[in-house]
Amino acid sequence: MPAKWVLHWHPITGASVNTQILDEISQGIESINGVKDGRWKAVLTFYKPIVRDQSMAAEFPRDFLGISLPDEPYKYYFVVRGQRIIVEADLSIQAIMDKLQSYKLRVALNFEGIQYGLGDFRVRVGKVVPSHLTHSETMRGIVMEVEYLPISSIDQSKQIMEEFVDIVQEILSNKPLPGHFVHSEPNFAEYGLSDQYTSQHAAIQYSTVMAQLIARHSQ
Amino acid sequence: MFSHVDGTFHECVVQGIIETQHVEALEILLQGLCGVHKERLRIHELCLKSSPNLGNGTSEFRFICDLEQQPEPSWSLRHIGGAMRGAGAEQLAVLVRSVGESKVSKQALRLFYALGYRLDHELLRVGFSFHFQRGAQITVTVSSVNKMLKLHAIEEAVPVTPGIQLVEVTAPASADNYPEVAAAVSSFCEYLAPLLHLSKPGVSTGVVPTAAAAAASLMSDGGGTTL
Repeated sequence: MPAKWVLHWHPITGASVNTQILDEISQGIESINGVKDGRWKAVLTFYKPIVRDQSMAAEFPRDFLGISLPDEPYKYYFVVRGQRIIVEADLSIQAIMDKLQSYKLRVALNFEGIQYGLGDFRVRVGKVVPSHLTHSETMRGIVMEVEYLPISSIDQSKQIMEEFVDIVQEILSNKPLPGHFVHSEPNFAEYGLSDQYTSQHAAIQYSTVMAQLIARHSQ
Repeated sequence: MFSHVDGTFHECVVQGIIETQHVEALEILLQGLCGVHKERLRIHELCLKSSPNLGNGTSEFRFICDLEQQPEPSWSLRHIGGAMRGAGAEQLAVLVRSVGESKVSKQALRLFYALGYRLDHELLRVGFSFHFQRGAQITVTVSSVNKMLKLHAIEEAVPVTPGIQLVEVTAPASADNYPEVAAAVSSFCEYLAPLLHLSKPGVSTGVVPTAAAAAASLMSDGGGTTL
Protein backbone atom coordinates (compact mmCIF):
# COMPACT_ATOMS: atom_id res chain seq x y z
CA MET A 1 0.00 0.00 0.00
CA PRO A 2 1.41 3.45 -0.82
CA ALA A 3 2.86 5.40 2.09
CA LYS A 4 0.64 8.17 3.39
CA TRP A 5 0.79 11.19 5.66
CA VAL A 6 -2.28 12.55 7.41
CA LEU A 7 -2.03 16.20 8.40
CA HIS A 8 -4.40 18.46 10.24
CA TRP A 9 -4.91 22.20 9.87
CA HIS A 10 -3.57 24.24 12.79
CA PRO A 11 -5.19 27.70 12.76
CA ILE A 12 -3.23 30.62 14.23
CA THR A 13 -4.44 31.75 17.64
CA GLY A 14 -7.90 33.21 17.44
CA ALA A 15 -8.63 31.97 13.94
CA SER A 16 -11.26 29.33 13.19
CA VAL A 17 -11.67 26.64 10.58
CA ASN A 18 -14.39 27.24 8.06
CA THR A 19 -15.59 26.54 4.52
CA GLN A 20 -13.66 29.47 3.11
CA ILE A 21 -10.35 28.13 4.35
CA LEU A 22 -11.21 24.68 3.04
CA ASP A 23 -12.05 26.16 -0.37
CA GLU A 24 -8.78 28.09 -0.45
CA ILE A 25 -6.85 24.93 0.35
CA SER A 26 -8.63 23.06 -2.44
CA GLN A 27 -7.86 25.87 -4.87
CA GLY A 28 -4.24 25.75 -3.78
CA ILE A 29 -4.07 22.04 -4.68
CA GLU A 30 -5.74 22.70 -8.02
CA SER A 31 -3.26 25.50 -8.74
CA ILE A 32 -0.43 22.94 -8.81
CA ASN A 33 -2.41 20.83 -11.27
CA GLY A 34 -4.29 18.67 -8.81
CA VAL A 35 -7.08 16.93 -10.76
CA LYS A 36 -10.34 16.25 -8.93
CA ASP A 37 -10.87 12.53 -8.67
CA GLY A 38 -13.98 12.01 -6.57
CA ARG A 39 -15.01 12.25 -2.96
CA TRP A 40 -13.84 10.40 0.13
CA LYS A 41 -15.06 9.77 3.66
CA ALA A 42 -13.73 8.24 6.85
CA VAL A 43 -15.85 7.88 10.00
CA LEU A 44 -14.48 7.93 13.54
CA THR A 45 -16.70 6.67 16.33
CA PHE A 46 -15.97 7.28 20.00
CA TYR A 47 -17.35 4.51 22.18
CA LYS A 48 -18.26 4.70 25.83
CA PRO A 49 -18.75 1.84 28.26
CA ILE A 50 -22.27 0.85 29.32
CA VAL A 51 -22.16 0.76 33.10
CA ARG A 52 -24.87 0.53 35.74
CA ASP A 53 -23.26 3.28 37.77
CA GLN A 54 -21.41 6.20 36.15
CA SER A 55 -18.68 6.08 38.77
CA MET A 56 -17.64 2.71 37.34
CA ALA A 57 -16.94 4.22 33.91
CA ALA A 58 -13.49 5.41 35.01
CA GLU A 59 -12.03 1.91 35.00
CA PHE A 60 -12.63 1.56 31.23
CA PRO A 61 -10.75 3.35 28.43
CA ARG A 62 -12.03 6.74 27.35
CA ASP A 63 -10.09 6.68 24.09
CA PHE A 64 -11.66 3.62 22.48
CA LEU A 65 -12.30 4.46 18.83
CA GLY A 66 -13.85 2.67 15.89
CA ILE A 67 -12.75 3.78 12.44
CA SER A 68 -13.99 3.07 8.92
CA LEU A 69 -11.63 4.03 6.10
CA PRO A 70 -12.42 4.94 2.50
CA ASP A 71 -9.84 2.52 1.05
CA GLU A 72 -11.19 -0.45 3.05
CA PRO A 73 -14.95 -0.74 2.53
CA TYR A 74 -15.11 -4.23 4.13
CA LYS A 75 -12.99 -3.54 7.19
CA TYR A 76 -13.40 -1.82 10.53
CA TYR A 77 -10.62 -0.68 12.85
CA PHE A 78 -10.39 -0.31 16.61
CA VAL A 79 -7.80 1.87 18.34
CA VAL A 80 -7.13 2.39 22.03
CA ARG A 81 -4.51 5.10 21.74
CA GLY A 82 -3.44 5.26 25.35
CA GLN A 83 -2.47 1.59 25.24
CA ARG A 84 -1.16 1.60 21.67
CA ILE A 85 -3.64 -1.01 20.51
CA ILE A 86 -4.78 -1.37 16.90
CA VAL A 87 -7.13 -4.11 15.66
CA GLU A 88 -8.36 -4.73 12.12
CA ALA A 89 -11.67 -6.58 11.82
CA ASP A 90 -14.48 -7.28 9.35
CA LEU A 91 -17.44 -4.91 9.12
CA SER A 92 -19.52 -7.50 10.99
CA ILE A 93 -17.62 -6.58 14.18
CA GLN A 94 -19.86 -3.51 14.52
CA ALA A 95 -23.01 -5.64 14.78
CA ILE A 96 -21.24 -7.92 17.25
CA MET A 97 -20.28 -4.94 19.43
CA ASP A 98 -23.92 -3.92 19.33
CA LYS A 99 -25.06 -7.35 20.48
CA LEU A 100 -22.49 -7.47 23.27
CA GLN A 101 -24.12 -4.39 24.78
CA SER A 102 -20.97 -3.43 26.65
CA TYR A 103 -20.04 -0.31 24.67
CA LYS A 104 -22.14 2.16 22.77
CA LEU A 105 -21.63 5.13 20.50
CA ARG A 106 -20.74 8.37 22.25
CA VAL A 107 -20.08 10.54 19.20
CA ALA A 108 -19.29 9.91 15.55
CA LEU A 109 -17.32 12.25 13.29
CA ASN A 110 -17.02 12.31 9.52
CA PHE A 111 -13.77 13.16 7.81
CA GLU A 112 -14.90 13.92 4.28
CA GLY A 113 -14.03 15.88 1.19
CA ILE A 114 -12.49 15.74 -2.26
CA GLN A 115 -9.55 13.78 -3.56
CA TYR A 116 -7.04 14.88 -6.20
CA GLY A 117 -4.57 13.14 -8.49
CA LEU A 118 -1.28 14.96 -8.72
CA GLY A 119 1.27 12.97 -10.68
CA ASP A 120 2.65 10.31 -8.34
CA PHE A 121 0.70 11.76 -5.42
CA ARG A 122 -2.90 11.41 -4.33
CA VAL A 123 -4.13 14.21 -2.10
CA ARG A 124 -7.33 14.25 -0.07
CA VAL A 125 -8.61 17.41 1.55
CA GLY A 126 -11.57 17.38 3.88
CA LYS A 127 -13.47 18.74 6.83
CA VAL A 128 -14.16 17.13 10.19
CA VAL A 129 -17.85 17.30 11.12
CA PRO A 130 -20.13 15.45 13.54
CA SER A 131 -21.79 12.66 11.54
CA HIS A 132 -25.28 13.90 12.22
CA LEU A 133 -24.40 17.46 11.15
CA THR A 134 -22.57 16.78 7.94
CA HIS A 135 -24.54 19.32 5.95
CA SER A 136 -23.96 22.13 8.37
CA GLU A 137 -21.31 24.78 8.04
CA THR A 138 -19.82 23.94 11.41
CA MET A 139 -16.59 22.05 11.14
CA ARG A 140 -14.32 20.83 13.88
CA GLY A 141 -11.20 20.72 11.73
CA ILE A 142 -9.61 20.33 8.33
CA VAL A 143 -7.42 17.42 7.31
CA MET A 144 -5.21 16.61 4.37
CA GLU A 145 -3.95 13.19 3.30
CA VAL A 146 -0.90 12.93 1.07
CA GLU A 147 -0.18 9.58 -0.51
CA TYR A 148 2.96 8.83 -2.54
CA LEU A 149 1.94 6.01 -4.87
CA PRO A 150 5.34 4.53 -5.90
CA ILE A 151 6.64 3.73 -2.39
CA SER A 152 5.15 1.79 0.51
CA SER A 153 8.07 2.21 2.91
CA ILE A 154 7.39 5.00 5.40
CA ASP A 155 11.10 5.75 5.85
CA GLN A 156 11.96 5.77 2.17
CA SER A 157 9.07 8.07 1.29
CA LYS A 158 9.81 10.61 4.04
CA GLN A 159 11.96 13.02 2.08
CA ILE A 160 9.71 13.28 -0.95
CA MET A 161 6.67 13.68 1.27
CA GLU A 162 8.38 16.53 3.14
CA GLU A 163 9.26 18.26 -0.12
CA PHE A 164 5.72 17.96 -1.42
CA VAL A 165 4.12 19.18 1.80
CA ASP A 166 6.58 22.11 1.90
CA ILE A 167 5.37 23.14 -1.56
CA VAL A 168 1.74 23.00 -0.46
CA GLN A 169 2.45 24.92 2.77
CA GLU A 170 4.20 27.67 0.81
CA ILE A 171 1.30 28.07 -1.62
CA LEU A 172 -1.16 28.31 1.25
CA SER A 173 0.93 30.74 3.28
CA ASN A 174 1.21 33.02 0.24
CA LYS A 175 -2.56 33.36 -0.01
CA PRO A 176 -2.29 34.11 2.99
CA LEU A 177 -4.24 31.67 5.15
CA PRO A 178 -4.43 32.01 8.95
CA GLY A 179 -2.76 28.71 9.79
CA HIS A 180 -0.76 25.81 8.44
CA PHE A 181 -0.84 22.03 8.20
CA VAL A 182 0.84 20.02 10.94
CA HIS A 183 2.22 16.52 10.54
CA SER A 184 2.86 14.49 13.69
CA GLU A 185 3.95 11.02 12.87
CA PRO A 186 2.75 8.45 15.38
CA ASN A 187 5.30 5.93 16.60
CA PHE A 188 3.99 2.95 14.60
CA ALA A 189 6.47 0.54 16.20
CA GLU A 190 4.75 1.09 19.55
CA TYR A 191 1.63 -0.39 17.96
CA GLY A 192 3.55 -3.39 16.68
CA LEU A 193 3.52 -2.19 13.06
CA SER A 194 6.40 -2.24 10.58
CA ASP A 195 7.80 0.27 8.12
CA GLN A 196 5.53 -1.00 5.34
CA TYR A 197 2.41 1.14 5.19
CA THR A 198 -0.98 -0.50 5.73
CA SER A 199 -4.53 0.53 6.53
CA GLN A 200 -3.76 -0.14 10.18
CA HIS A 201 -1.23 2.70 9.94
CA ALA A 202 -3.97 4.92 8.48
CA ALA A 203 -6.34 4.12 11.35
CA ILE A 204 -3.66 5.11 13.87
CA GLN A 205 -2.93 8.34 12.00
CA TYR A 206 -6.61 9.28 12.10
CA SER A 207 -6.83 8.55 15.83
CA THR A 208 -3.73 10.71 16.37
CA VAL A 209 -5.19 13.60 14.37
CA MET A 210 -8.40 13.24 16.37
CA ALA A 211 -6.46 13.48 19.63
CA GLN A 212 -4.75 16.64 18.40
CA LEU A 213 -8.04 18.24 17.34
CA ILE A 214 -9.47 17.48 20.78
CA ALA A 215 -6.38 18.89 22.49
CA ARG A 216 -6.65 22.07 20.45
CA HIS A 217 -10.34 22.48 21.30
CA SER A 218 -9.67 22.16 24.98
CA GLN A 219 -7.08 24.93 25.03
CA MET B 1 -24.58 -15.35 1.40
CA PHE B 2 -26.87 -15.83 4.32
CA SER B 3 -25.57 -12.86 6.18
CA HIS B 4 -27.79 -10.00 7.05
CA VAL B 5 -26.73 -6.50 6.04
CA ASP B 6 -24.85 -6.22 9.31
CA GLY B 7 -22.85 -9.42 8.78
CA THR B 8 -24.62 -11.64 11.29
CA PHE B 9 -26.29 -14.83 10.21
CA HIS B 10 -28.12 -17.82 11.59
CA GLU B 11 -26.89 -21.35 11.91
CA CYS B 12 -28.53 -24.70 12.41
CA VAL B 13 -26.60 -26.91 14.81
CA VAL B 14 -26.74 -30.31 16.46
CA GLN B 15 -24.17 -32.05 18.65
CA GLY B 16 -23.37 -35.49 19.89
CA ILE B 17 -20.57 -37.53 21.42
CA ILE B 18 -18.73 -40.59 20.24
CA GLU B 19 -16.13 -42.81 21.83
CA THR B 20 -12.62 -42.13 20.51
CA GLN B 21 -12.28 -45.76 19.50
CA HIS B 22 -15.08 -45.28 16.94
CA VAL B 23 -13.81 -42.03 15.43
CA GLU B 24 -11.95 -43.80 12.66
CA ALA B 25 -15.12 -45.59 11.61
CA LEU B 26 -17.00 -42.29 11.68
CA GLU B 27 -14.36 -40.80 9.45
CA ILE B 28 -14.78 -43.63 6.93
CA LEU B 29 -18.55 -43.14 6.99
CA LEU B 30 -18.27 -39.37 6.53
CA GLN B 31 -15.73 -39.75 3.74
CA GLY B 32 -18.17 -42.01 1.92
CA LEU B 33 -21.17 -39.74 2.49
CA CYS B 34 -19.54 -36.42 1.76
CA GLY B 35 -17.27 -37.26 -1.13
CA VAL B 36 -14.70 -34.70 -0.01
CA HIS B 37 -11.45 -34.93 1.89
CA LYS B 38 -11.31 -34.13 5.58
CA GLU B 39 -9.55 -31.03 6.81
CA ARG B 40 -7.38 -31.14 9.88
CA LEU B 41 -8.60 -29.11 12.80
CA ARG B 42 -6.54 -27.59 15.53
CA ILE B 43 -8.27 -24.69 17.18
CA HIS B 44 -7.48 -22.72 20.30
CA GLU B 45 -10.71 -21.30 21.67
CA LEU B 46 -10.67 -18.54 24.24
CA CYS B 47 -13.96 -17.71 25.92
CA LEU B 48 -14.08 -14.12 27.16
CA LYS B 49 -16.66 -12.69 29.55
CA SER B 50 -17.28 -9.10 30.55
CA SER B 51 -16.17 -7.99 33.99
CA PRO B 52 -19.04 -7.44 36.46
CA ASN B 53 -19.12 -3.65 36.15
CA LEU B 54 -19.42 -3.64 32.38
CA GLY B 55 -22.73 -3.78 30.56
CA ASN B 56 -26.22 -4.43 31.85
CA GLY B 57 -25.57 -8.13 32.17
CA THR B 58 -22.72 -10.48 31.35
CA SER B 59 -21.68 -10.60 27.72
CA GLU B 60 -19.41 -13.24 26.30
CA PHE B 61 -17.86 -14.34 23.05
CA ARG B 62 -15.08 -16.58 21.81
CA PHE B 63 -11.80 -15.99 20.07
CA ILE B 64 -11.11 -18.75 17.60
CA CYS B 65 -7.43 -19.16 16.79
CA ASP B 66 -6.94 -21.51 13.86
CA LEU B 67 -3.56 -23.09 14.48
CA GLU B 68 -3.61 -24.93 11.13
CA GLN B 69 -3.27 -21.68 9.16
CA GLN B 70 0.14 -20.96 7.68
CA PRO B 71 2.43 -19.10 8.14
CA GLU B 72 0.65 -17.59 11.16
CA PRO B 73 -2.46 -18.69 13.02
CA SER B 74 -5.56 -16.73 12.02
CA TRP B 75 -7.90 -15.21 14.58
CA SER B 76 -11.61 -14.65 14.46
CA LEU B 77 -14.21 -13.55 16.95
CA ARG B 78 -17.46 -15.47 17.27
CA HIS B 79 -20.54 -14.36 19.15
CA ILE B 80 -23.40 -16.75 19.64
CA GLY B 81 -26.75 -15.06 19.94
CA GLY B 82 -30.02 -16.41 21.19
CA ALA B 83 -31.99 -19.29 19.80
CA MET B 84 -34.60 -18.42 17.23
CA ARG B 85 -38.06 -18.32 18.73
CA GLY B 86 -41.48 -18.91 17.28
CA ALA B 87 -42.52 -19.85 13.73
CA GLY B 88 -41.96 -23.51 14.53
CA ALA B 89 -38.25 -23.00 15.24
CA GLU B 90 -38.49 -24.40 18.75
CA GLN B 91 -40.11 -27.62 17.51
CA LEU B 92 -37.27 -28.43 15.16
CA ALA B 93 -34.83 -31.16 16.05
CA VAL B 94 -31.97 -28.78 15.33
CA LEU B 95 -31.12 -25.56 17.13
CA VAL B 96 -31.37 -22.40 15.04
CA ARG B 97 -29.35 -19.58 16.56
CA SER B 98 -27.96 -16.24 15.47
CA VAL B 99 -24.21 -15.95 15.06
CA GLY B 100 -21.84 -13.05 14.51
CA GLU B 101 -18.36 -13.69 13.18
CA SER B 102 -15.48 -11.46 12.25
CA LYS B 103 -11.85 -12.02 11.35
CA VAL B 104 -9.65 -10.03 13.71
CA SER B 105 -5.98 -9.14 13.75
CA LYS B 106 -3.81 -10.53 16.51
CA GLN B 107 -4.05 -7.66 19.00
CA ALA B 108 -7.75 -8.41 19.45
CA LEU B 109 -7.18 -10.30 22.71
CA ARG B 110 -5.24 -7.33 24.13
CA LEU B 111 -8.00 -5.01 22.96
CA PHE B 112 -10.79 -6.83 24.75
CA TYR B 113 -8.74 -7.21 27.94
CA ALA B 114 -8.29 -3.41 27.81
CA LEU B 115 -12.04 -3.00 27.27
CA GLY B 116 -12.88 -4.93 30.44
CA TYR B 117 -13.24 -8.54 29.30
CA ARG B 118 -11.64 -11.45 31.13
CA LEU B 119 -10.60 -14.92 30.03
CA ASP B 120 -13.22 -17.28 31.43
CA HIS B 121 -11.75 -20.49 30.03
CA GLU B 122 -9.81 -21.75 27.06
CA LEU B 123 -9.89 -24.99 25.10
CA LEU B 124 -7.92 -26.74 22.42
CA ARG B 125 -9.97 -28.67 19.87
CA VAL B 126 -8.07 -31.25 17.85
CA GLY B 127 -9.64 -33.32 15.12
CA PHE B 128 -10.99 -32.96 11.63
CA SER B 129 -13.90 -31.54 9.68
CA PHE B 130 -15.79 -32.15 6.46
CA HIS B 131 -17.41 -29.33 4.45
CA PHE B 132 -19.87 -30.33 1.76
CA GLN B 133 -23.17 -29.54 0.05
CA ARG B 134 -26.15 -31.80 0.68
CA GLY B 135 -29.36 -29.79 0.64
CA ALA B 136 -27.43 -27.17 2.57
CA GLN B 137 -23.81 -26.22 3.18
CA ILE B 138 -23.01 -28.65 5.95
CA THR B 139 -19.94 -28.84 8.16
CA VAL B 140 -19.27 -31.87 10.34
CA THR B 141 -16.59 -31.42 12.98
CA VAL B 142 -15.17 -34.27 15.05
CA SER B 143 -12.79 -33.22 17.79
CA SER B 144 -11.35 -33.97 21.17
CA VAL B 145 -11.84 -31.08 23.56
CA ASN B 146 -8.77 -30.37 25.65
CA LYS B 147 -8.08 -28.02 28.51
CA MET B 148 -4.82 -26.32 29.35
CA LEU B 149 -3.15 -26.86 32.68
CA LYS B 150 -1.34 -23.54 32.42
CA LEU B 151 -2.44 -20.31 30.78
CA HIS B 152 -2.27 -20.61 26.97
CA ALA B 153 -0.12 -23.76 27.21
CA ILE B 154 -1.56 -25.49 24.14
CA GLU B 155 1.32 -27.95 23.95
CA GLU B 156 0.30 -29.35 27.34
CA ALA B 157 -3.43 -29.68 26.85
CA VAL B 158 -5.27 -32.71 28.25
CA PRO B 159 -8.69 -34.08 27.24
CA VAL B 160 -11.63 -32.78 29.21
CA THR B 161 -13.39 -36.14 28.71
CA PRO B 162 -10.80 -38.78 27.91
CA GLY B 163 -12.00 -41.39 25.47
CA ILE B 164 -14.89 -39.23 24.23
CA GLN B 165 -14.97 -36.83 21.31
CA LEU B 166 -17.47 -34.17 20.33
CA VAL B 167 -19.28 -34.20 17.00
CA GLU B 168 -20.93 -31.04 15.71
CA VAL B 169 -23.00 -30.64 12.56
CA THR B 170 -23.68 -27.05 11.48
CA ALA B 171 -25.09 -25.26 8.46
CA PRO B 172 -25.55 -21.50 7.89
CA ALA B 173 -29.13 -20.34 7.37
CA SER B 174 -31.22 -17.24 6.98
CA ALA B 175 -34.51 -16.25 8.53
CA ASP B 176 -36.15 -17.31 5.25
CA ASN B 177 -34.63 -20.72 4.60
CA TYR B 178 -33.92 -22.16 8.04
CA PRO B 179 -36.70 -24.79 7.85
CA GLU B 180 -35.13 -26.26 4.68
CA VAL B 181 -31.62 -26.08 6.12
CA ALA B 182 -32.79 -27.68 9.37
CA ALA B 183 -34.45 -30.46 7.38
CA ALA B 184 -31.26 -31.04 5.38
CA VAL B 185 -29.23 -31.27 8.58
CA SER B 186 -31.71 -33.66 10.23
CA SER B 187 -31.84 -35.80 7.16
CA PHE B 188 -28.07 -36.04 6.97
CA CYS B 189 -27.86 -36.94 10.65
CA GLU B 190 -30.00 -40.00 10.06
CA TYR B 191 -27.10 -41.54 8.14
CA LEU B 192 -24.94 -41.18 11.24
CA ALA B 193 -27.53 -42.70 13.59
CA PRO B 194 -25.90 -46.14 13.87
CA LEU B 195 -22.75 -44.51 15.21
CA LEU B 196 -24.00 -41.56 17.19
CA HIS B 197 -27.05 -39.62 18.31
CA LEU B 198 -27.14 -35.93 17.48
CA SER B 199 -29.41 -33.40 19.14
CA LYS B 200 -29.68 -29.75 20.12
CA PRO B 201 -26.79 -28.48 22.24
CA GLY B 202 -27.85 -28.57 25.83
CA VAL B 203 -29.98 -31.65 25.34
CA SER B 204 -27.93 -34.43 26.85
CA THR B 205 -27.24 -37.52 24.83
CA GLY B 206 -25.08 -40.50 25.42
CA VAL B 207 -23.21 -42.83 23.14
CA VAL B 208 -25.45 -45.15 21.10
CA PRO B 209 -25.59 -48.85 21.80
CA THR B 210 -25.21 -49.78 18.12
CA ALA B 211 -21.95 -47.84 17.80
CA ALA B 212 -19.58 -50.73 18.40
CA ALA B 213 -21.23 -53.01 15.89
CA ALA B 214 -21.61 -50.25 13.31
CA ALA B 215 -17.97 -49.23 13.75
CA ALA B 216 -16.77 -52.79 13.37
CA SER B 217 -18.74 -53.12 10.18
CA LEU B 218 -17.31 -49.92 8.75
CA MET B 219 -13.75 -50.84 9.68
CA SER B 220 -13.93 -54.33 8.30
CA ASP B 221 -14.74 -53.43 4.73
CA GLY B 222 -13.69 -49.76 4.58
CA GLY B 223 -17.16 -48.32 4.20
CA GLY B 224 -18.53 -50.54 1.50
CA THR B 225 -21.31 -51.73 3.79
CA THR B 226 -24.56 -49.85 3.72
CA LEU B 227 -25.66 -49.36 7.33
